[in-house]
Amino acid sequence: MITITLNGEQRDIHDGSTVDDILSTIGAEKQRVAVVVNENIIYPEKRSSLVLRENDQVEVLSFVEGG
Amino acid sequence: MNVLQIGAHTFSSRLILGTGKFGNVQSMLDAIRASGTELVTVALRRFNREQVEHDLFTALSTIEGLTLMPNTSGASNAAEAVKAAHISRELSGSPFIKVEIHPNPQHLMPDPIETYEASRILASEDFLVMPYIPADPVLAKRLEDAGCASVMPLGSAIGSGQGLATAEMIKLIIRESSIPVIVDAGLRSPSEACAAMEMGCEAVLVNSAIAAAENPAQMAAAFASAVKAGYKARAAGIMPKSGSAVATSPLTSFLGKTS
Repeated sequence: MITITLNGEQRDIHDGSTVDDILSTIGAEKQRVAVVVNENIIYPEKRSSLVLRENDQVEVLSFVEGG
Repeated sequence: MNVLQIGAHTFSSRLILGTGKFGNVQSMLDAIRASGTELVTVALRRFNREQVEHDLFTALSTIEGLTLMPNTSGASNAAEAVKAAHISRELSGSPFIKVEIHPNPQHLMPDPIETYEASRILASEDFLVMPYIPADPVLAKRLEDAGCASVMPLGSAIGSGQGLATAEMIKLIIRESSIPVIVDAGLRSPSEACAAMEMGCEAVLVNSAIAAAENPAQMAAAFASAVKAGYKARAAGIMPKSGSAVATSPLTSFLGKTS
């Protein structure tokens, strides 16, 4: 297991987990979300191959209602 | 020109809607349809599993011809706003960004310095930048010179319903601007939107006044009519004011007297 920070909270994940794996874990696999890893935007085509590492800072964002 | 032009984009509606504060998603969608708007604002937040059933992007996708204008609300400085804009563009595919930096939740007044800095950077990156600003003609001109696609001065504080408290300043902004001036924030009733259009605004952005109405869809339609009326009236040429009465009927008497 390794530890990452996901949306501000520490989380233990399996070694070798990809961004897509994380999206499935949090129920965001079918949503229109943006993913930022260590300040870099991760485009959809890269999410199945990008393996997360210890201490990665991951942000998953989506649109909500706002004025 | 009968269409609203922002950059190279044109919109047949001059009413822009915010999507916040509606009681539920259906109410928001009904109001958007009733308004005839083609441009709506959305905000960026961390993904929340509990919102899965109400994915906003999917809901808005059901309305044809709708363009998203993400805002940078939540950003407290220029760097955060620029970051939010980059992520929002990836997510929406829209070139529009409403730069909105209001660090003090007590009054939500836009920070002019951070707003200018973020807008300048984003305009240089080919965003269509629509900054939410205090009604300051000097700042508005500086933002135009920095490459913004429009400026959006506040009528009064966000969500306050205090109407066009800054009307005289907005008139000065309009006089000096060659980009669209759009009143954003504070409007309470359609008559105020109509007044903003008569004044020379190219569009108005409304959220709370519609979302907080007892019947949001009906209020959205009312705002749409008011915006059209105001624009049409301005195009028709509004008569000048006079300091004294000017008769509309002949003043000659008609019962046994000659003038």
